[in-house]
Amino acid sequence: MFFRKIHGRIRVVFIIIVIFLICIIGKVFYIQIFQYKKLSNLANSLWSRELPIAADRGVIRDRNGIELATNKTTTSLVVIPNQIKNPEQVAKSLSDILQSDYNDMLAHVTKRTSIERVHPEGRQLNYETAEKINNLNYDGVYLVKESKRYYPYNTVLSHVLGYVGIDNQGLSGLELYYNKYLTGSDGAIKYFSDGKGNRLKLSEIYEPSAAGIDINLTIDINLQLAVENELDNVISKYNAEHALIMVMNPNNGEILAMASRPNFDSNNYRNYSTEVINRNLPIWMTYEPGSTFKIITLASALQENAINLFKDTFFDGGSVNVDGARIKCWKSGGHGSQTYLQVVENSCNPGFVSIGEKLGKETLMKYIKEFGFGSKTGIDLNGESSGILFNVNKMGPVELATTSFGQGISVTPLQQIRGVSAAINGGYLYTPYIVKSFSESETNNVIKEIKPNMTKQVISEDTSKLVRFALESVVANGTGKNAYIENYRVGGKTGTAQKVSNGKYMVGNYILSFMGFMPADNPEIIVYVSVDNPKGIVQYGGTVSAPIAKNVMKSAIDILGIEPSKDVIPREYTWLDTKYVVLPSVLGMNKEEATKVLKGFKVEYSGNGDTVTYQSPKENLYVEEGSTVKLLLN
Amino acid sequence: MNKTTRKFDIILFGVVLITIIFGIVMIYSASSVWAEYKFNDSFKFIKAQGFFFIIGIFIMLFVSKIDYHIYQKKANVILLICFMLLILVLIPGIGKIRNGSRSWFGIGSLGIQPSEFAKIGLIIFVSKYLAKNQNLMKSVIKGALPILGVIAIFFLLIMLEPDFGTGVVIVLTLVSIIFVSGVNISFFVRIGCVGLLGVVGLVIAAPYRLKRIVSFVNPWTDPLGSGYQIIQSLYAIGPGGLLGQGFMQSRQKHFYLPEPQTDFIFSIISEEFGFLGVLIVCSLFFIIFYRSLKISLSCKDLFGKYLAFGLSFGILIQASLNLMVVVGLIPVTGVTLPFLSYGGSSLLISMISIGILLNISRSSN
Repeated sequence: MFFRKIHGRIRVVFIIIVIFLICIIGKVFYIQIFQYKKLSNLANSLWSRELPIAADRGVIRDRNGIELATNKTTTSLVVIPNQIKNPEQVAKSLSDILQSDYNDMLAHVTKRTSIERVHPEGRQLNYETAEKINNLNYDGVYLVKESKRYYPYNTVLSHVLGYVGIDNQGLSGLELYYNKYLTGSDGAIKYFSDGKGNRLKLSEIYEPSAAGIDINLTIDINLQLAVENELDNVISKYNAEHALIMVMNPNNGEILAMASRPNFDSNNYRNYSTEVINRNLPIWMTYEPGSTFKIITLASALQENAINLFKDTFFDGGSVNVDGARIKCWKSGGHGSQTYLQVVENSCNPGFVSIGEKLGKETLMKYIKEFGFGSKTGIDLNGESSGILFNVNKMGPVELATTSFGQGISVTPLQQIRGVSAAINGGYLYTPYIVKSFSESETNNVIKEIKPNMTKQVISEDTSKLVRFALESVVANGTGKNAYIENYRVGGKTGTAQKVSNGKYMVGNYILSFMGFMPADNPEIIVYVSVDNPKGIVQYGGTVSAPIAKNVMKSAIDILGIEPSKDVIPREYTWLDTKYVVLPSVLGMNKEEATKVLKGFKVEYSGNGDTVTYQSPKENLYVEEGSTVKLLLN
Repeated sequence: MNKTTRKFDIILFGVVLITIIFGIVMIYSASSVWAEYKFNDSFKFIKAQGFFFIIGIFIMLFVSKIDYHIYQKKANVILLICFMLLILVLIPGIGKIRNGSRSWFGIGSLGIQPSEFAKIGLIIFVSKYLAKNQNLMKSVIKGALPILGVIAIFFLLIMLEPDFGTGVVIVLTLVSIIFVSGVNISFFVRIGCVGLLGVVGLVIAAPYRLKRIVSFVNPWTDPLGSGYQIIQSLYAIGPGGLLGQGFMQSRQKHFYLPEPQTDFIFSIISEEFGFLGVLIVCSLFFIIFYRSLKISLSCKDLFGKYLAFGLSFGILIQASLNLMVVVGLIPVTGVTLPFLSYGGSSLLISMISIGILLNISRSSN
């Protein structure tokens, strides 16, 4: 029929339209199933607005859990201009509460932005102000939590802790080195808004912030405070250019205390010059170490059996001629004939030149490098220096000679304390470190513990024992007398290094240092003190730095609980020194007997019995001659 | 008369009513936020749409009782009135501008679009012409060119408003009737080429159309300008997922998708009812089309056959174009979704079309 062609074409058109519909359904299926995630994310970011919740930074604690860097929670004011119904009124109320300019506030409140932080007047609000703003109950006015870094000890340990910038990002010190660990992840309150920025009555999503990881240091804050106190004293007493003290555990490389002057307040670091805040002197500063370096020369010579401390002798005539250069001993006229033990005790430069010559430049330089000089120690802080050594191929006899007693080379304080630690701890070279463990902030569970890192045994246990003995006699009999502590075995070495400026030694300008450790038979701590150009005193390490080291060690005895030693090498006395004697026991004696035994002491009694039941100080301790002894009678 | 007392296609009638009611519900969901903001009356749009719906039912039932052969007799007069109206609407002061087109008569929010009426007028005219000159259509020059000339004149008038979407719908509808009438395929290849040249010419005449095409290929090249609508539409459809966000739970209607109750109502349906909603809407249109074509196929006279096909194709091609725009298959053309989009004039014309179809269904059963 005639209609057949028409009907056929109608069916074709029908099929075409059905195909269209299928394409449409297919496309929707593709969009809603395959592009669902992508489009949902994009749409969500379009719909949702975020009120930020600042995360706390990880807390930094000392080895006993005392907080050194923590966070202060403050609130800050945030406005969402699109949600504010009456900008003039809101601006008026807010500017009244914050006592700020009305027009500035109006500008914040009407700014064309999705979210506006009222900076600076609306940041770090106190509780009363925040409460007042909260009570206004305005739409579009929010108070959000802000976290501010806070250092409760202000200037203490500032170079090690470092500081953070405006957005809580670590900029120096541990804050920078461990920034990744310390930084938490910010949270947010997400709510949905319409195309005009109004808040929709849809459910809000709360994403909590997660605090950063806590860091526990090897530092003991009490010892650190003692060190800081000593530095304050030395600066006010001698008006020194720089001064620094480090205390380390020689048996594992843990830094127990570390400070330098000038220093700064981590809370207000902007008030200080960049030189002051960025130079952590104990790891950054390099200078000629002077005589403290002789410990390294001594250890190398003993390990190589180049000298016998007790049998070999050296005659010091006051100076020695090396390849045409005259090297003088600090004592004019010289020390005469000495054993090498006496050479060490007297810190005799010509004696050490002879030790250097016996070792030869290759051997000496090999040991110096093995003790860790000339390269970074690898401590977990930024800004460490490597120092400079002579190139062994270009070293002549003069360079060998000066290196032997610590001149002509350049090292950091950290390299020295590390190298000497290896010399006295049995020969083991450790990588110094300052972070003991990481812990989770919520639960305090330790996530990761840092183990001591021993890189090399440089000298033998026996050699090390000899070094300890030699250095103990330096304190007992030699140039380190001012570090002597009664009832404790202390080893150490003084150092007096002339400073170099423009390639020339400066006149009357020295860095005075002292390297001490105790107990000398089994060292628990090692202390390094360095004072740069003190004024108004004989510029000699033994007079300036040794007493400081002594004070630090005395503090350490109390703080770390170091037991008194037996078999102390008795000190050699000069007529100027106060004499110490062993206090006998008077326990169980009656009053008359006790008075008789304690002849030469001032005796004070308390109690009304007849028998001595308690005496202070205790028996067998070294006490000053003629000092007071208290007895309890019962 | 026997023909008017016979039963009309009750399924078509029912499905159309369901579709329109669903449309009104969705217009409420889509427009309440916008209406509240603009007119302080969240029911503003559905009040108007409901009013047109009720009027529309009466008109549809009334039209279904008018014997469709009267249009055959009055085809020339109807076309002339449509022609006059299309001229009048171009005169400033008489025609009103909406969305950049001078395409409206009317006062306030009530208004009619002469191009919508011209659509029905042209379908009637072309159906009559083809039914009368069935034999002439074998000759391109004598049969096809004169009718193509008439179509071209009307298309140009509509493009002067300009209303590209309606123009395209009309042209496609009329060409499809000519196709159904049995003209050789090679003829369509030729007018296809002419049409393509025409589109190129139109794009050159108004560069905003090129922008629409570019933004169709990658809407993210201009996310705040020409790509804005399609991106916002995708943001509605995508998160809808399988079952949607739930009725009234659309987020994109909150001032993201502009005027969501009109051209992009399908986006909101997809967002609130998900893939399921899309299937339902497509099924409704499928049933409408299927029932309408059935009327055409079972109609005994040629005019009725062409008229029924033209009216149903006109609705379905407009629906397809709208849906393809909304889902990003073709560039934005600016046509509404029949029965579902907000718009009184459009709804009335669609319902009149269904009324005529229902009358044809009476005669064929």
